[in-house]
Amino acid sequence: MKTTLHIKGRNLWILCTLVVLGIALSCCYTIIVSVDQPATAVVGSTVNIVVNVKNSCNSSGTAHFVFGFLAPKGWKTSQNAKITWASTKGNGNMVLIPSTTLAPNSNGLSWPDYMKATFGNVGNLIDDVEWVAYQTDAPINYANGDKITGTVNITFSNIGADGNPTSVKLGYVIANDQNGFTFDGNDGDSSPTSEYYNELVTSCFQLTGGTGDLVDFCNPQLTTINPPKSLDNDLVTITYNDNVTHTTLAGSTAVYLCATATLSDGSKVNVCSQTAKTMLTQTSANSGIYQLTFWPKSFFGTTPGQTVVSMTYYITDKAGTVQVGYGNTAAAFTYKFKCS
Amino acid sequence: MKRHLYLLIALIGLSFASCKVEKITAVNEGTKDLTGTWKVVQATRNGTDLIPLYDFTQFTLKFDAKSQSYTLANPLPFIVGADGKYALDDPQYPFKLTFTASGGTPVTTAFNYPIVAGSRAIILTFSPGCTLNTYVYTFTKK
Repeated sequence: MKTTLHIKGRNLWILCTLVVLGIALSCCYTIIVSVDQPATAVVGSTVNIVVNVKNSCNSSGTAHFVFGFLAPKGWKTSQNAKITWASTKGNGNMVLIPSTTLAPNSNGLSWPDYMKATFGNVGNLIDDVEWVAYQTDAPINYANGDKITGTVNITFSNIGADGNPTSVKLGYVIANDQNGFTFDGNDGDSSPTSEYYNELVTSCFQLTGGTGDLVDFCNPQLTTINPPKSLDNDLVTITYNDNVTHTTLAGSTAVYLCATATLSDGSKVNVCSQTAKTMLTQTSANSGIYQLTFWPKSFFGTTPGQTVVSMTYYITDKAGTVQVGYGNTAAAFTYKFKCS
Repeated sequence: MKRHLYLLIALIGLSFASCKVEKITAVNEGTKDLTGTWKVVQATRNGTDLIPLYDFTQFTLKFDAKSQSYTLANPLPFIVGADGKYALDDPQYPFKLTFTASGGTPVTTAFNYPIVAGSRAIILTFSPGCTLNTYVYTFTKK
């Protein structure tokens, strides 16, 4: 039997129109409005950062707000940062989310892993940064149409705990523990990255002073070493990127490592022959990117009682006559073998 | 009637006689014998595939169950850097493998012994240098 729905009556039509309009105009957003952060700081000092946030949704519910902060691993954020929240819905501390807590809609990832998978290293060129995930220490109840404004306040003590002057892009993410980094499109004028979560990346933050070597996460370097923190019993990959600037090695099919190691007993070992052992091979034809993976203990031929403390090095051509140093100058690149 | 009774008694007797207690003996899990020479077929460092980057073909790890000893050929960054003794925490159901290099201290790692593509593999996870760096080597028999 065919049934036809006949809507009659002026009020019913008005009601339907209002429902449709209500859906269309529904608006849910989570936005990091701004971050008040100094442009520079000194290694070991205390830095205060304020993240200004606003949130609204045309529905009611309860959720913990989640906050993610990306900084160099060597800063030990989870130990050195104290984070609080203040808002029109109350205030309290931001607490670390245990690594055993799985984020919603993440296919089984912890919050830090989910942040890494979603936002990566936010443009930092060295993979030695970490996402640290926090959530409000109490759930926040919100009613339909609530406009919540608030701040996440970071007090970062002993910044740059690894002692390295650093140039880095800091990353901030705000989300909630119900939706994760999703967009369901149900809400009117929000965008995929501002409905249930929002990310903000600052320009390069400069950390000066310290006793270590400069770590520049922001600018491409002629050479990089992976893992960034390694000892002489690691397998170390050195990458030379000839695309960073025009050097006299441009167009080479292979380049060579010419290195001098300083050992724990103060002796020095120089390895500077242009052989297969020192050859950086091009990753693909004309890529201008060359790599060599080596075992420092074996490469420098240390004895059981010796360790490699640091090395200075140049990249050379096959004849060994053309040498490229730090910043395409005559100064050698330097690398310290360390783990913290 | 009497004949039927005898038949019934006989049937009951036969049914009881046919019952037999079956003793089930547990099957003994075999001991894990690592004896042999093992080579690296997969290697990662912090998740990065190292096989295209470094020559692992010369490195071998040889176990001898009789003497409970192991030997390394053409060493590279590994749990231990010299020959020595090894031990499983349980020969039948091992979860841990301990290496003790000659003159060194014991180093224990999780023991993973799956069957991959029809043959046994040993998967070992360790940090030979900086503890922030994790290496996973997968060995199969040579």
